[in-house]
Amino acid sequence: MTDQLQTASGASSEGMNSLLTNRRGWRPGGAGGDSRKTVTFGDSSAVRSSPAWTVVALIFMGILWWAATKAWGFPAEFAAANEGLRDVDLQAACDRDETCGRDSYSQFLSPRTFPSPRDTWTAMVELWNNGFANETLWAHTWASLRRVGLGMFWGVVIGVPVGFAMGLSSRLRGFFDAPVELFRPIPPLALLPLFILMFGIGDRPAVRLLFFAALWIMIIAARSGVRTANLSKVRAAYSLGASKWQVLTRVLLPNALPEIFTGLRVALGVCWGTLVAAELVGTRVGLGSMIFAARPFFRLDIMLAGVVIIALLGVLMDVIMRFLEARLIPWRGKG
Amino acid sequence: MTEHGGGGQLRVESVDMVYELPKGGSVQALKDVSFDLEQGRLLTLLGPSGCGKTTLLNILAGFLAPTGGQVTLGGSAITGPGQDRGMVFQQGALFEWLSVEKNISFGPRMKRADKSGTSARVEDLLKTVGLGGFGEKMVYELSGGMQQRVALARCLANDPAMILMDEPLGALDALTREKMQSLILELWSETGKTIVLVTHSVEEALFLGDILFVMAPRPGRIERTYELPFAKMGLEVEPRELKRSPEFVDKREEILSLIWDMEEQIMGHEGEA
Repeated sequence: MTDQLQTASGASSEGMNSLLTNRRGWRPGGAGGDSRKTVTFGDSSAVRSSPAWTVVALIFMGILWWAATKAWGFPAEFAAANEGLRDVDLQAACDRDETCGRDSYSQFLSPRTFPSPRDTWTAMVELWNNGFANETLWAHTWASLRRVGLGMFWGVVIGVPVGFAMGLSSRLRGFFDAPVELFRPIPPLALLPLFILMFGIGDRPAVRLLFFAALWIMIIAARSGVRTANLSKVRAAYSLGASKWQVLTRVLLPNALPEIFTGLRVALGVCWGTLVAAELVGTRVGLGSMIFAARPFFRLDIMLAGVVIIALLGVLMDVIMRFLEARLIPWRGKG
Repeated sequence: MTEHGGGGQLRVESVDMVYELPKGGSVQALKDVSFDLEQGRLLTLLGPSGCGKTTLLNILAGFLAPTGGQVTLGGSAITGPGQDRGMVFQQGALFEWLSVEKNISFGPRMKRADKSGTSARVEDLLKTVGLGGFGEKMVYELSGGMQQRVALARCLANDPAMILMDEPLGALDALTREKMQSLILELWSETGKTIVLVTHSVEEALFLGDILFVMAPRPGRIERTYELPFAKMGLEVEPRELKRSPEFVDKREEILSLIWDMEEQIMGHEGEA
């Protein structure tokens, strides 16, 4: 209110200041901004993630992990007897120890079978230095990123135009509704056996599975992006002399970008989550393949290190996407 | 500013607009609406909701094709939206992904107009609407009143013969609204554009309207026409003073009671049904 008054009266410097703070997304009364508020419980717009408590949670998780490996640790003699068994499979380890039965699975939560934080760190260093399964860690990571990238690429290239078509024409909406609604609920992994038979093993079925995972998400994101276009905007563009093509490229597309970007983030998350299973289809390189390659060698430390790397990369990708979103779509939510 | 080539008289001839309802039946949004509007008039449309004022504006803009009758501007029939008629909406019609400058130059850029000429024109328009130095800002960084200034400038950039405004000040607070009313009057007198403005506010319709139609619902029609002196006076006299003058107050009460009676009638009808 005061902002409007000031700016309407010719943009005083105070008015400019409030404009600038708005740009950074600070709102008066935001977190810590107004400690004089008496109603706090239920004021969800003032809730922000507290960094201190995030650190507490990370430490707590670390302690739990460490405690778990201690609490369910093996008897010392068992661990000693199993020294050097690293490359022998689980059955062989059990055969040597008569106590190894259904009732003693907890024994496998030993520092060796359930790797401690330190073991996992050592495995990560080993991966970093030597790689695993005849490939460097970078080769595994790159193979996985490439598959996800390709699947996403085709998902966007095909999904966005289809979504736009569905948002712009009742006929095309009707036509595509059937496949979209039918295929969307299918878990990509349910198609895995089919894809192996159809496309063989290796890169091709993996990429196609990721494409399948991304496609429906992108179609729906683009469709709802078109539908958020305010009719006034479209009409204004026509009144300003825009052609249909110009309305599509200069109004509908930029208007849909925030939704499309949300779709990208969701699809990337889903693809990353599907990746490990997609790499079950006989790929030799890749983070998922690496984890499966570690299994017959009983290398739980490598497996867990792989899981940690996948988790960290997932977080990193989301951070990058958020950064890009803030840079590329600063108008998000401000229309 | 140059006179637009296709400018001239707006002629509305016995326009009908019937909406078919999805559940069957129909609503007569406009019935036999006819009027002529010379170049350079400022027409305000006022009336209770359902009187068809926004429908009429949308027909003038070319967003709706009437079910009967004809609308011509400068002799040529209006069949769709066009650059000769600029639109200003209540809100949300600016392109928030573009800067103020790019919003204003949108029309010329769609025509691939000469770049240096366009940027000089944008600079002029920014000053005209009181936004000098704000060209680089993004529209979402501006207050509601400033955004409507951008909307005005954007539509002036195409140099239309006629400007159509659909409750352009409806979302603004009272004080900003008064300032914007004065700006609209200034732009009107400086550019000599024909303006058609829809509003809910009796005071606004009286103050801005050089000619005022009070419209009535069921079926939507022009109930009464007023030729008013206030818009021209508003350019010289202090607006607040004008709005408390006896002539203004009398007219305001007269129109208020007219609209009040219409509302009563509608309530009565609904009571019967």
